Amino acid sequence: MREFKRVGSMIKMKLSDYEAALLESLVEQLAEMLATDAGVEPSSDPFVRWQAELDASEPLDRTDPAIKRLFPDAYPDDPVASSEFRHLTQAKQRSDRQRQAEVVLSALADCEAGEHPVQVRLIELDDWLKTFTAVRLSLAARLGIETAEDAAELDGLPDEDPRLFVYRVYEWIAYLSENLLALA
Amino acid sequence: MSTPVQPPASAGDTATLNKPSEAALVTWVTIVWDDPVNLMSYVTHVFTSYFGYPEAKANELMLQVHNQGKAAVSAGSREQMEIDVDAMHGYGLWATMEPG
Repeated sequence: MREFKRVGSMIKMKLSDYEAALLESLVEQLAEMLATDAGVEPSSDPFVRWQAELDASEPLDRTDPAIKRLFPDAYPDDPVASSEFRHLTQAKQRSDRQRQAEVVLSALADCEAGEHPVQVRLIELDDWLKTFTAVRLSLAARLGIETAEDAAELDGLPDEDPRLFVYRVYEWIAYLSENLLALA
Repeated sequence: MSTPVQPPASAGDTATLNKPSEAALVTWVTIVWDDPVNLMSYVTHVFTSYFGYPEAKANELMLQVHNQGKAAVSAGSREQMEIDVDAMHGYGLWATMEPG
């Protein structure tokens, strides 16, 4: 069968066991990166939660280029306003991204290591696309892709360079996104 | 794109000014910047699905981002633009806001 097939209100995407495991691992890494306070039980007291949120105004590591790219400054010339903006938006952004990653991970689990096609429900298409985009932005930040020339340079790396593998994965996820968009 | 509103040169110009309430509402723009990661088809998808722009307008804005490095994709109050910038960040686009 074809790799991608539109069936009613879903797209069926055929992945090998290796591809499904690779994708799962990348999405898990993304979810972990955004869950810095994983393991800490949120308090049932809304005031305590609010106070904790205030204390953790920058809970993510902004020296990490991937975090910087996922949460860019809203006000390029105003660091204070940008920080306030993040303060207001970041907790929701993080929980949204976690939920979107869960949608992808649960569909990947259902494919049973490539035994069945992965089912992408069109109603959840943006969850997939946003997650794929966040994974690619993270990989691009790790690879130092800041311009189109950087990407072209990586493409020309010798086979034994470990960055070439990461770059191929980055391109492969773009290919998945393109195919989902084409069938949506 | 971001020409500041000039004060009237003389009292005679006041008649051409917007009403204050209107001017206060539309003073900010959301800018989407070009980046080497996001796919052209995806950026168009974001502009149609989030802003509800027709395909042609979304595509035109996407090309403007791609060819000119940035495009103003929406305009409105500061609060509205914060919502749009937040949404663009949620899609993984590199967006900022500035007085329009």
